[in-house]
Amino acid sequence: MYEAVHAHPDGQSTVARLAKTAADYGFEGVVVRNHADARAEYDPERIRDEYGIDVVEGVEIRTDDRQSASGAVGNYRTTKTIVAVHGGTNAMNRFAVEQAKVDVLAHPMAGDGDINHVLVKAAVENGVRLEFDLSGVLRQSGGRRVRTLQSLRKLREIVDHYDAPYVVSAEPTSHLEVRAPRELKALGEELGFTREFIEDGLAEWGRLAERNRHIHSESFIEPGVERGRYEEES
Amino acid sequence: MKHLPKHLRPRWRYLAVSLETWPDERIGRRSFQRELWYAGQNLLGDPGSADADLTVMRFSFADGQGEAIVRVRRGETEPARAALACLDEIDGAPVGICVRGISGTIRAAEENYLRRRGQDSEERNVVFGNEERVAVLRDCVGDVRLDEAFAGATDLDYDLA
Repeated sequence: MYEAVHAHPDGQSTVARLAKTAADYGFEGVVVRNHADARAEYDPERIRDEYGIDVVEGVEIRTDDRQSASGAVGNYRTTKTIVAVHGGTNAMNRFAVEQAKVDVLAHPMAGDGDINHVLVKAAVENGVRLEFDLSGVLRQSGGRRVRTLQSLRKLREIVDHYDAPYVVSAEPTSHLEVRAPRELKALGEELGFTREFIEDGLAEWGRLAERNRHIHSESFIEPGVERGRYEEES
Repeated sequence: MKHLPKHLRPRWRYLAVSLETWPDERIGRRSFQRELWYAGQNLLGDPGSADADLTVMRFSFADGQGEAIVRVRRGETEPARAALACLDEIDGAPVGICVRGISGTIRAAEENYLRRRGQDSEERNVVFGNEERVAVLRDCVGDVRLDEAFAGATDLDYDLA
């Protein structure tokens, strides 16, 4: 299971601290999803060796207009393992689900963003994962939290119906906001998700990272075509 | 009142919980208990939080780190876990919280899951992000004091000045 984090300077803790905490809590990996305007400097290999946890380089593209978003997706696609789009407005939600190059549409229901059957169908077609963002449930209270819960339920019902791909995250911005997978599963159960649903959503980050690393690797040429092991001609 | 015969007494489970916050924050037992009950009530509702109980039995806190034992009725440990996860602030201090384990007795919970991490923290000057800062170091991790807030870091992120 993986957690997708905002590290310093986007959040308050460095990648290493978040990775150490996540490893301690039983995660198998962290995805660094800093916004493109606040990128973190870190050495994934060194953190992996030190704390025994996978560190995935990702990016979350945050912009208001489709053109710059499109450019950013093109730029980061080749260098980052996971490319997410900061959702939360109808325009960006629409943009993200229609782009096969985008891996994850982050928190589509945040702010005044919304999701409907058309967008979810497009997401299924393009393989864009919709994110269930639990941070609002964990860190808000009162009426705002109720609204967050309502939006999570709406998203869950549509995603269930179309069997759309999804990821789950608590979106921590510091090591204090990380919650262990068991806690997240217990929380999900209270909210009407099943344990398997949450576990699957947390594991999906890892599967996504593995798939994209494979695609980025040198042996991969195009789907179904790979460089095999051939005898060297002498 | 005469106490209940053994088979009618509630069965308890004890959650061993670890707490963490920034170095200059303090968390008291009473405020932890209050916030925990609030969290339970907000997430589980009155009936759910009454079932879960969520009484703090043991509590210790020092140097930005703490440990607690929370009593929960048997069979309600998962809702209690969920309520604990929803604790994000105590008296304005952000807290990291994790259930280390569950036992049937307080003693077993303490012995198996809460090792007294009695490591003292120390203040040192470090170089973090090309600037010299003061950091509170403990056990391979450190909280670096920035202009207004702290940044959580580890030994990989800074050099001792």
